[in-house]
Amino acid sequence: MAQTTIPDKSVEKLTRGEGSSDLGVTPGIDRAEKLADLDGTTMRLNGCAASAYAALYADVDVITAYPIRPYTAIMMNLSQFIAEGLLDAEYLHADGEHAQLSAALGAGSCGARAFTGSSGVGITYAFEVYSPAAGARIPIQMAIADRTLDPPGDFGSEHTDALCTRDMGWLMGWAATPQEVFDKHLLGYAIGEDPRLLLPQMICQDGYFVSHISGDVELPSIEQVERFLPPYKLPFALDPKKPVSHGPQIHPEQGPPLQLERARSMETAIDIIREKTKEFSDAFGRSYPPFVEEFMLEDAEVVFVMQGGHSVTCQATVKRLRERGIKAGMARLVWFRPFPTEDLQKALDRAKVVGVVETNLGLGGASYGGILSLDVTTALYHGANRPLVTSFMAGLGGETIPINEFTWMADKMVEAMERGSVEKASHWVGFED
Amino acid sequence: MTQKEVVRQHLPLFEEQGRSASVPDDVGRNLHYLPDMPEEDPYQAGHRTCAGCGPAIQYRWVLKAAGQNTVVAGPTGCMYVANATYMSTPYTVPWAHTQIASGGSFTSGMAAAYESMIRKGKYEGEYPNILVMAGDGSAADIGIGSISGALYRNHDALFICYDNECYANTGIQTSPTTPYGGSTTFTPPGKVIPEGKKLPPKNLAKMMSEGHPNCYVATTTVGYTLDLMNKTRKGLNHRGAAFLHCYTPCQKGWVYQTPMTVELGRRVVESGLFPVWEYDPAERKYEYFIPPEQRPVVDYLAMQGRFGHMHPEHVALMQVAANRNWEDMGADVPKRLRELEDPEAHKHLKEEEYSLPVNRGIGA
Repeated sequence: MAQTTIPDKSVEKLTRGEGSSDLGVTPGIDRAEKLADLDGTTMRLNGCAASAYAALYADVDVITAYPIRPYTAIMMNLSQFIAEGLLDAEYLHADGEHAQLSAALGAGSCGARAFTGSSGVGITYAFEVYSPAAGARIPIQMAIADRTLDPPGDFGSEHTDALCTRDMGWLMGWAATPQEVFDKHLLGYAIGEDPRLLLPQMICQDGYFVSHISGDVELPSIEQVERFLPPYKLPFALDPKKPVSHGPQIHPEQGPPLQLERARSMETAIDIIREKTKEFSDAFGRSYPPFVEEFMLEDAEVVFVMQGGHSVTCQATVKRLRERGIKAGMARLVWFRPFPTEDLQKALDRAKVVGVVETNLGLGGASYGGILSLDVTTALYHGANRPLVTSFMAGLGGETIPINEFTWMADKMVEAMERGSVEKASHWVGFED
Repeated sequence: MTQKEVVRQHLPLFEEQGRSASVPDDVGRNLHYLPDMPEEDPYQAGHRTCAGCGPAIQYRWVLKAAGQNTVVAGPTGCMYVANATYMSTPYTVPWAHTQIASGGSFTSGMAAAYESMIRKGKYEGEYPNILVMAGDGSAADIGIGSISGALYRNHDALFICYDNECYANTGIQTSPTTPYGGSTTFTPPGKVIPEGKKLPPKNLAKMMSEGHPNCYVATTTVGYTLDLMNKTRKGLNHRGAAFLHCYTPCQKGWVYQTPMTVELGRRVVESGLFPVWEYDPAERKYEYFIPPEQRPVVDYLAMQGRFGHMHPEHVALMQVAANRNWEDMGADVPKRLRELEDPEAHKHLKEEEYSLPVNRGIGA
């Protein structure tokens, strides 16, 4: 993989300690002093560094780490923050991802703000623990930098790793830039820790495309962060002063009401995400759509639906397609769980053809392609406007999706629009004429 | 950063003198009367364990010794399923279920949380006792890695294995601590495999003591209440990780008469099959308990249906293992026990006669 050898400038800068704005290594500097120094500055950070900075600002109490590329750089940055005394947190070197997530859950269950993360097969190794964490309503946070699942070994990004866990009850969404990564971590804690909700969050970014490519990140003041994200109190923490039992056995007839409660938590999440996203923009002056980023959708006939870092290339393509007279647009999903059914229906209520760009692998599913299109199609089926839907398998194995591939996809959508039907439910880009 | 001091508890040991001094019984064994104990029972009524359940006895003594300022984790196993029923759990201390492989890791997280929250002023109060009680399937098999990781990282917590020598909760399957010859639903004796289980047990506690610097490690059984409670307190008082391996008979899995749970806890030690010891990591020294009475293994085996199928040569092999244990402990092996290493000295186990009621059932 070529990406692994790209020098990671921002981390280098961090660890070399050059300039007054690097946070990592100035010895003997006080946390408050350093964060005051950073207030309002813009740093050039990659996605991993942005994640680490967000955890620093969030003043997390317990971090559980286990190495796997590419998310490891997040933990490397955090260990350095701790070594320099900029962050006071227990940093736990777990003996595997299952233990890593279990330890985060144990910490979260006692009321600590816990932070962890993983990539690729690391995410699947921890699989058993996702449902217990969400079911116990412990709002721990996990930073994901995607990596293709084995086989064969591949460092490149594919969203399949995190998407495998999509039905376990975690909030889950992809950021497209380092700035959005930073913001989404803070937003994620604020949403997940809301006492009306209490759910764990997966804050995802494409491996390498976002995790290891730098972008400008505006850093807030610590007061801004503390106002938006105050220290929280888990109402049912494992505290000897107020004993509770977590996770006892139930009888079968006690199952359905508890499952219904979990299902409803996802509906509650829709409202809380909307509310907190608004609060975020009031607090930091950067606005995000709560669920769907709309790009040139007003009059769009053919629309790409996707998530993550490739959306940046997609936007450039949409502009070029417009020059050719094709009414193209893009809708980017900001959260995948809970799935924004209503917002997506609204965003696509004038679209004629929708092309889902998958960047994941869903073997043997209804579309015989990827995972995203299944949710997107279901959402649109129940909407007032029912556009044609197809999907594109692209960017697999961590390949880039260049503009000519997006153009090829647009042509397929235009053909479908003219014909009045799609050729097939999923196209393998690069393998078809 | 201003950090608050993490104040830790110190639990006094129970007196082994005075009211609780040992007195010899009619066979010369030391009997302890129970000392004045705390009235509080953080492990209360409300559980559904079997009559004669060894782990339930252990849970009660451990939590009585630990007291109310304690946080407990329980990985999947009998003592999850039989203890903690929704809206009717027996705990007056905070308790959490963990996945079966997460006993070590989840508990690490709890310890890390309290270290961090107290230090950062987010929690008011003394550092609570943090302990996990994991079955042998969890501690010696699927979760051994996570417990090893936790002991290695040296969290200030007590990791206990309640060892009923099988996966009892799922219907008595073999675990790494099931003894040689034990009949389980995964190691049934038959014509081709007459002994049942063919492997000797994993030496879990020695793995923990030899492999984890700074870790206080001890073994004990439910036959020695005071020892169990004091080792619990020593483990909790130890600054850093502690591991306690406790032998806890399973009436359902081992097939014995229900009042014999505590008696088995003594006989297993007196027959040399479960060495009781304590490991001091600072001195790197083991201190072995040599019981005043040394018995043939038959005295122990014949009480349990799970061994009822054993042939003379299988019983002799158990005696060999016991005698090697005595030697490891630095105890003399009496001539009569050495002679029992010979298969000729034994009958088929089901034909043995004993003063204690013997369960003639074969198998689990």
